[in-house]
Amino acid sequence: MSSSREKILAAAQANKPAQTPLPTIPDFGGDASVERFTQVLGSIGGRVVWVASPQQLVPVLHQLFPEAERIASPLFASSVAVNAQTPTQVLANVDLAVLPGEIGVAENGAVWLPEANMLHRALPTVTQHLVLVLDHRRIVATMHQAYAQLPGTGGYGAFVAGPSKTADIEQSLVIGAHGARSLVVLLY
Amino acid sequence: MSHSARAATFVADAERTTWHDETLWFVRQKRDKAVYAVPEFQQLRELASQIKDHTLSRLDEYLQQFEAAARRNGVHVHWAADAQEHNALVLDLIRRHGATRIVKSKSMLTEECHLNPHLIGHGIEVIDTDLGERIIQLREEAPSHLVLPAIHLKKEDVGDTFHRHLGTEKGNHDPQQLTEAARQHLRAKFLAAEVAISGVNFAVAETGGVVICTNEGNADLGVNLAKVHIASMGIEKLIPRLTDLGVFTRLLARSATGQPVTTYTSHYTQPAEGREMHIVIVDNGRTQQLGRPDFRASLKCIRCGACMNTCPVYRRSGGHSYDFTVPGPIGAILSPNIDLKKHSSLPFASTLCGSCTDVCPVKIDIHTQLYKWRQVLAEAGEIPTAKKWSMKFMGRFLASPKAFGLGGKMARTGLRLLPYQLTHATAFNAWAVARELPEPPQQSFRDWYRETVR
Ligand code: SF4
Repeated sequence: MSSSREKILAAAQANKPAQTPLPTIPDFGGDASVERFTQVLGSIGGRVVWVASPQQLVPVLHQLFPEAERIASPLFASSVAVNAQTPTQVLANVDLAVLPGEIGVAENGAVWLPEANMLHRALPTVTQHLVLVLDHRRIVATMHQAYAQLPGTGGYGAFVAGPSKTADIEQSLVIGAHGARSLVVLLY
Repeated sequence: MSHSARAATFVADAERTTWHDETLWFVRQKRDKAVYAVPEFQQLRELASQIKDHTLSRLDEYLQQFEAAARRNGVHVHWAADAQEHNALVLDLIRRHGATRIVKSKSMLTEECHLNPHLIGHGIEVIDTDLGERIIQLREEAPSHLVLPAIHLKKEDVGDTFHRHLGTEKGNHDPQQLTEAARQHLRAKFLAAEVAISGVNFAVAETGGVVICTNEGNADLGVNLAKVHIASMGIEKLIPRLTDLGVFTRLLARSATGQPVTTYTSHYTQPAEGREMHIVIVDNGRTQQLGRPDFRASLKCIRCGACMNTCPVYRRSGGHSYDFTVPGPIGAILSPNIDLKKHSSLPFASTLCGSCTDVCPVKIDIHTQLYKWRQVLAEAGEIPTAKKWSMKFMGRFLASPKAFGLGGKMARTGLRLLPYQLTHATAFNAWAVARELPEPPQQSFRDWYRETVR
């Protein structure tokens, strides 16, 4: 153990204030409707598209992304095979990733995407375009409810809310900074 | 140099000052809209404040709980007492992997430690990947805001910078095209990087994981492509439970930019197979601040920047005038802890209007602390002589009704008779530099009162 560890812990212990209670966090309820989710996602640059069932994905994708050639997905026979060992050069050329999302959050348009659903941890950001497929019954109102449903966060996982964006140049909003240039949530 | 002296160079360009002020006020208004849309927002602030207070009150225990959980997850945990140790640790990790190319995602802590110059000095290429950070890195400047590091620059400035460094067309100032140029330039860096360094927004004691919030996805892209991830965190980033994130993720982006949440809220708990994850836990003066009852609440800060966007002084003086990693109201509280002498003018860079305290999502009593710092500084003799003497004089003057009455009469006559050049001589009256003096009334309030109220 390093001496800095001991030093920091000793100082934290010596200098900490008298103990105060840890509050319990209420559920707060809220609007968990598909309408709310759709409206908020739209306001942050994403988009909701309905599919009749997960089996109907492919034709809808062809319609949405007619130009996408290199597609990676665990949901159907895709054109690029990706797994945790896929080299960076292959990942860098993916046009479209279609991944299953787990939980949608109506108040902010975020979708929980655990590592197990990503094929490779970098895929959701390295791909040019991202589609998340979500069961509309898995939409909750707030982040509190989303975390309450998570057993843990696994090795890695992210709430993804819309496409990558930046406003670092004079506060002008630009969609497509480093991550995916567009985000569509396919609801079924 | 004092804050006001440095601010003088910023305000010399009146147009730019106005633009800076309006831009930040626009962000503040977006924040208000986002906040009013959440009915329980005030309750969330109270919860956030209580969670942070509680964590600080058991900080040593939570640090150990976090460390143990992270180790179980296969994460390497390191401890750094100060900036120097942090930098040495990071350099050592990089060298151990024989790496020379590093991508970094936004981290105020590494700024605070001056990590970049340290690594570059040792022959490592360090690329900041957040667009705003990259812009100022190319210009060899420091960030001027917590969340919007290049907020002091106009698109023309960025266009010129990119023309010089990235070969974009001269005169191209289109934010869309400039962002695309940066995307292409940085993508090559992401793909080639061997080690990725990130900051930490929240560290969860219960899971041993860290959470990073970005809009650009630069942390995720860098960390998930590189073989090694080094996350630097201050000890105050801890929160006890996963469920606490529900509170903080609802507050952070709304307070910062008025977004409902950041695009990516990423949870890093274990390294990917065959890869490495390191967490460096840094003190650098924080435990000392913990021991100061009047100022320890500043450790609750989640670095949203809301206090800057609302501060009338920050908006009109620019982040660089603070000459400290964290500018604005919260920076003015944190900096005297680090160097009382050097930053002695910062607690005075406030109107004490309390707007910062009103917007702070973790309810830090910012303006009260600024007021308290002023007293500490006065006690330590760290205020300018002119201020010290004039305050002493004013105190005596105001304490004597006779002197006050006489002084009032002199002022009423004096202001009418004295020439403008004299009343506005900047040599003795700095107050009048940008202000007009009031029209002196004919009668004193005392006389008026005697006549009116019988
Ligand atoms: S002090 Fe409060 S308002 Fe200012 S950056 Fe920190 S959390 Fe945000």
